[in-house]
Amino acid sequence: MSLAERAEGDPAATIAARELSKAFGGVQALRSASFAARRGEVHALVGENGAGKSTLIKILGGRLHADSGNVLLDGNAVRLGGPADAARRGIGTVFQELTLLPWMSVAENLLIGREPRSALGLIRRNALAGEAEAVLAGLGIHHIDPRALASEVSLAERQIVEVARVIVRQPRILLLDEPTSSLVEREVEWLFARIRELRARGTAIVFTSHRWNEITSVADRITIFRNGAEVGTFDAIDEDEAVTLMTGRRVEALYPPLPPVPSPAAPALQLEEAGVGDGGTVSLSVAAGEILGVGGLAGQGHRELFLGLFGAPPLARATIRIGGEPIVITCPADAIHAGLGIALVPEDRKTEGLLLPLSVRTNLTLPILAQLSRLGVIRGGAEARMSREIIDSLGIRTPNAAQPVGALSGGNQQKVLIGRWLLAQSRILLLYDVTRGVDIATKHEVYELMMRLARQGRAILFYSSDTEELTHLCHRVLVLSRGRIVAEFAPPALTAEAVVAAAIREPHAA
Amino acid sequence: MVGMLNRRSLLAASGIGLLAAGLPGRPFAAERKLKIALSNSYIGNKWRIEMENLFKAALQMEPYKSQVEGSWFNSGNDVSQQSQQISGLIGERVDAIIVNAASPTGLNGILHQATERGILVVSFDNVVTAPTAIKVDTDQFQFGKKLADFLVEKLNGKGNVIMVTGVAGTFVDKERNAGADSVWKQHPGIKVVNRYTGMWDSSVAERNTAAILPSLPKIDGIWCQGGTDGVLKAFIAAKRTPLPPTAGEAENGFRKFMTGYMSQKVDGLSIGQPPYLVLVSLELARRILQKSHPRKDITIPFPFVTNSTVKVGETVFPNLPDSFFADFTDSGADATVKICVDAALTGKACEGKLDVRLPSQA
Amino acid sequence: MPPDAAATLAARPQRRPRAAHVLGQNIGLVLAAAILLASAVVFTLMFVIQQQRLPGSFEITSTVNNTMPLAVAAIGQTVVVLTRGIDLSVGGVIDLTNALAAIFLAGSPLHMIVVSILVVLVGAGAGLVNGLLVGLGRLQPIVVTLATLSIFQGLAIRVLPQPGGSVPAGYTNLLVNPDAPTALIFLAVAILGWMALRRSRLGVELFAVGNDEAAAVALGVNALRTKIVAYSIAGALYAVAGLFLAANATSGDATTGNSYTLTSIVAVVLGGVSLFGGRGSAIGAICGAFITTMIVNILFYAHINPLYQAFYEGLFLVVAVVLGSLIGNLLRRRG
Ligand SMILES: Nc1ncnc2c1ncn2[C@@H]1O[C@H](COP(=O)(O)OP(=O)(O)OP(=O)(O)O)[C@@H](O)[C@H]1O
Ligand SMILES: [Mg+2]
Repeated sequence: MSLAERAEGDPAATIAARELSKAFGGVQALRSASFAARRGEVHALVGENGAGKSTLIKILGGRLHADSGNVLLDGNAVRLGGPADAARRGIGTVFQELTLLPWMSVAENLLIGREPRSALGLIRRNALAGEAEAVLAGLGIHHIDPRALASEVSLAERQIVEVARVIVRQPRILLLDEPTSSLVEREVEWLFARIRELRARGTAIVFTSHRWNEITSVADRITIFRNGAEVGTFDAIDEDEAVTLMTGRRVEALYPPLPPVPSPAAPALQLEEAGVGDGGTVSLSVAAGEILGVGGLAGQGHRELFLGLFGAPPLARATIRIGGEPIVITCPADAIHAGLGIALVPEDRKTEGLLLPLSVRTNLTLPILAQLSRLGVIRGGAEARMSREIIDSLGIRTPNAAQPVGALSGGNQQKVLIGRWLLAQSRILLLYDVTRGVDIATKHEVYELMMRLARQGRAILFYSSDTEELTHLCHRVLVLSRGRIVAEFAPPALTAEAVVAAAIREPHAA
Repeated sequence: MVGMLNRRSLLAASGIGLLAAGLPGRPFAAERKLKIALSNSYIGNKWRIEMENLFKAALQMEPYKSQVEGSWFNSGNDVSQQSQQISGLIGERVDAIIVNAASPTGLNGILHQATERGILVVSFDNVVTAPTAIKVDTDQFQFGKKLADFLVEKLNGKGNVIMVTGVAGTFVDKERNAGADSVWKQHPGIKVVNRYTGMWDSSVAERNTAAILPSLPKIDGIWCQGGTDGVLKAFIAAKRTPLPPTAGEAENGFRKFMTGYMSQKVDGLSIGQPPYLVLVSLELARRILQKSHPRKDITIPFPFVTNSTVKVGETVFPNLPDSFFADFTDSGADATVKICVDAALTGKACEGKLDVRLPSQA
Repeated sequence: MPPDAAATLAARPQRRPRAAHVLGQNIGLVLAAAILLASAVVFTLMFVIQQQRLPGSFEITSTVNNTMPLAVAAIGQTVVVLTRGIDLSVGGVIDLTNALAAIFLAGSPLHMIVVSILVVLVGAGAGLVNGLLVGLGRLQPIVVTLATLSIFQGLAIRVLPQPGGSVPAGYTNLLVNPDAPTALIFLAVAILGWMALRRSRLGVELFAVGNDEAAAVALGVNALRTKIVAYSIAGALYAVAGLFLAANATSGDATTGNSYTLTSIVAVVLGGVSLFGGRGSAIGAICGAFITTMIVNILFYAHINPLYQAFYEGLFLVVAVVLGSLIGNLLRRRG
C-alpha cells in the first residue's frame, strides 16, 4: 500500500479534477475534491453511498458544472460546455442513471449521432439495425436484438447497450459509473474484457463499483472517497482497510452466519407450474425461516417470477399457496393488502419503485399508510417516528425525511426501497437484487437484517446478480435458465463456480 | 297532360324503383318533392332550438308537408364541419340549402360550389357574404334606431339613458349601436350615462347591471339589445323602482314585465330577431324553386309589441320561462307568419295550414 | 480483432421476427390507418345504399379539401407533442394567418407567393414565441400556449375585425382545386417532408427530447434549441393550415380557426401519437384528421338527430381511442 502524491500534482494525468466543490441546495456533494487518472490505467473510484462519486463523474462528463475548482485535460484547465462538448474532447461517460431513450430501438440508441446516412445526408433507417448488429457483434454482444425498443430489453441489456454506445465512439477517457450494478458474472466478465482491451490501447478508464472483488480484479489504482472528498489513492489496498477508510469505522466479516431453518420446515410459499417465459414453468417452495436463492443469467425469467408473485403482472397458469392455502394474486394490492405478506424491491428504482418527487418519508411509509392512519387521517407523529428509525438504522444519507427521494444518491435511493419492506413487516419477502448499488457497509447491514428476518421465521425469496451473495446468504439456491429450474444447490455443493456453471450450460445440450 | 305525367312517372320509376310507377298521378308539386335541407351551425341556445323546432313543425304542415322533403343538420361553431355537411348535401343533390352559418365568410367556398351545381342557397340570421346566396334578414340598423326612437318619444327628448350592448366585434352589435347613435345625435337632450355589454344574455346583463347601477344617477330610460329581463331584475334588486321606460329584445320575461310582473309594470317596446326567419327562408326557397318568386334577397320587418299591443297567449306567455323568445310568431293584421306556441316548444305541427307572407316586392 | 470467446455474450436462440418489431413499434400508425380504412368503407356503404352510386370525384375532392387545414395543423401539433409538449395556440395562429391571407392575398401570382411566404413566416414567428417561452422560460407548454392562444386570437380580430376579404379564385384553385383532389399532392409533399425530418438529426433530437429530456441532454442534445425549433415548425405549419382554410372559404374570418385547437389534438390522438411524447408519426396524425372528417360524413348519412350528433362524435372518438390502445396493449403483450 502506498499513498500516491496529491492527484493534482500528477504530471501523467490525462484527466484530473482540482479541488472541485459542488453543493445541491444545502447538501455539499463535493468538498474540494481532487482526482486524477492516467492514460492506459483503470482507476476505481470507491466510497459509500452519497460520497460524491457520481457528482464527480457528472462534472468530468460535462453534465454538471462545479461551483469551484477545475477540470484538467492533459494538464490544462478546461470548461466543459456540456456532454456534447465533453464527447468532442474525447470523454465518454456511462452515467449511473441510464440514459437510453425508452421508445427508440436499441439500434437507434446505440448509433445516435452517428447513424448511417445516404448521399442526401438523411439517415438510412433501414440500415440501422444491420449496422447496430455489426457494432454489437464487434464488441462480442450477440444476444441483444437491435430492433427491440430499449424499454423492451432487460436492465442488464440496457446497461450493456449503454456501455457499447460509449465504447464504439472510442473515447480517450472512459468514465463508467456503476456499470456493473445490474450485471451478472458473465456480463461483468464481458465488460472487463472490453475494459482491458481499451486499457491496452491507452484509454484512461475511471469506474465505480460497490463490489470489492470487481475492483481488485480490474483496477490498477483505487481512489477512496469519503464525504465529498478523496481520502487517498492506492496501487493496492486490502478490503478491510478500504472499508475502514470509506466509512471511518471497522466492519467485521461481510457475510454473517446463516441461522438454521427450523425443522420440520413449514412451507410458507409454494408455487406450482408458474410460466415465466420461454415456455418453461417453475415450481418452488420456501419454508418459514428459509432464504431461498434464485440465480442464473439475467433475463432468464427471474424478473417475471418476482414481479409475477407480486401480481405485476400476475403469473400465467400458476398455483400459489401461502401457508398451504391456495390464493389468487391479480395485482400488487392483492399482494400487499390481502394479508399475503409479499413485498418486492423492484429492479428499476427510477421507474418502478420510487416516487422521485415525493419525500423520503412518504416513499418509506406508502405501503403501510392504512396501518398508519386513523379514520383516513395519517398519524403524522407515528409516520415521522417510523421513518426516522429506518433512516437511522440504514444510514440513509439525507438532510431530512422531507427531502425528495430524487435528490438522493443512487445507493441511498436503493436504501429507501429496502426500508420499505422493513416497515411493511411482510411474512414472505421477495428480494430482487436489493443490494444493487449499495455500498459495502450498508450491504453488511442489509445482510444482518436478512438474517434477523429469517430468524423471526419469515420466508425470503432472494435474487441477486452477485453470485457471491447467493452462495453466502442462502440455505438453498435454484438456478433459473430459459424459464426453467435447471439446478438446485445446497451446501456444501453450493459454490459460486457451481452456480455459474449451471447457469451457462445450455439446458438442452444434455 | 296525362301522357306527360305518365312519362314522368316512368322516368322516376327507372331511377327510384318500381314502387313509384304504381302510384296514381298527382298534382305537379307533389310529384317530386323538393329536397330542402337546413344547415345550422350552433345549437346551444334557446333561440336556435326554437328556430329548428319551427322548421320541423313547418315540414309537417301544409303546403310543405306534401311538397317538401326536409332534413336538418347541426355542426356546432365549427366551420369545417359545417362545410363538410354542406358537401354532403351537395352529394345528396338537394334542391335548396337553408344556412345559418358558423361564419359569414367561412362557407363561401363550398356554397359557391353548391350554386354552381344548381342548388339554391338561402342564408338567414347569421348570413353569409357569398354573392350567389340569397339572404333573408332583418335590418339591424333599424332595430337599434327603432328602440332609440321609442325612448326619445317616451322621454320627450330629455333624460338619462343606459345602453346595454351585445357581443362586441359582431356585425349585428355594431349595426344596432349605430342605429341608436344616429338617433341620439339628433336629440342632444338625451344623455347616454353608461354603455356596457350584456352579451345578449340575461344573466350576464343582470350581473353587469347590478355592478354598474350603484354608480349611476337616476335612469330615465333603458336601451337594451338583449338580456332585457335581466337588466330589469337588477333594477328591482337595487330598488330602482318604479322601472323606467324600456326598449329591449323579445324575451318572454321582458314582455311579462310589460303586462305586470314581480309587482312592476313597464312601459316598453319589445323587438326581436325572429326565429321564424327560418320559415321565411323555407317559403322563399319553395317559391323560388317553383318559380313563383324571383331570386332576390329579402328583408323582413321586425315583429314588435308595445305595452299597449302585447297580448297574453299570443305574444307573451306567463307559464313559459323568462328566457323563451316570445317572437317565434308575428302578430297583428299584416303579420309575416302566425304559428302556435307548441311548434316553437316541441317542433310539433299546429292545426291548419301554414301561411308565410313574403314582403311584397317593391 | 474479434474478442476472445470467453468474453462474448452468446446469442439467445429465438428473436422476434422483424415484422413483429415493425408492427409493434408502429402500432399507433397501423391502427390509425385501419380505422381510417374502416370508416371509409362504412361511409362508402352508407353512401351507396342511400345514393345508389359510388362516391364520385366531388365527394372525394370535397373531403380532401375540407380536411387539408386540419391535416396540416395536425402535423404541426404532432411535432410539438413528440417533444412531450402540447400546443393550444393552434386556433389563434390559424385565425391570425387566415385573416392576414384574406386581406393581403391579391394581385399577381408573384405577389401571392410573397404574401404566402410572409404569412408562413408570421406563423413560424408565433411558434417561436411559444418555443421561447416553453424553452427559455421553463414554463408548462399547456399554460404558455393557452395564454398565447388568446393573444393570437386578439391579434387576429385586430387584423380582421369583420369577416371579409377575399382570396383570388386562382389561389383557391391552386391549393384546393374544387374539381379534382389535387390537394393530395400537397399532402404527399408533407409526408415526404416528414419522412425527411424523421431521418434528420433534428428529427432524432425531437424524438429524443420527447423520450426522456434528461437522458437526451446527457446524450448531448440541445433540448432548448430542439423545442424552440419544434414550436416554430409547428407555427409555420399552422400558418399553412390558415392559408388552406382561407383558400377553402375564399375569404377570411378571424374566428374560424378556433376549433382547430381541439380538433388537431383529436387528430393527433387518433393518429396514435403518444401525448407523453417520443412516439408517433405525422402520417398517423394525417390519418387522424381524415378520420374526423369521415366521422362527420358517416353521421351525415346516418341521419342522426342533430341534437345528438356531438354525442355520437364523442362516442366514436372514445371507442376508437380505447379500441386502439387495447389492441396495442394486446399486441405488445403477445409479441
Ligand atoms: N440533484 C441533486 N439534488 C440534491 N442533492 C443531490 C443531487 N445529486 C446528488 N445529491 C446529493 O449529493 C450527495 C452525493 O451524491 P452522489 O450521487 O455523488 O453520491 P455517490 O457517491 O454517487 O453515491 P452512490 O454510491 O449511492 O451512487 C448525496 O448526498 C446526494 O444526496
Ligand atoms: Mg452514484
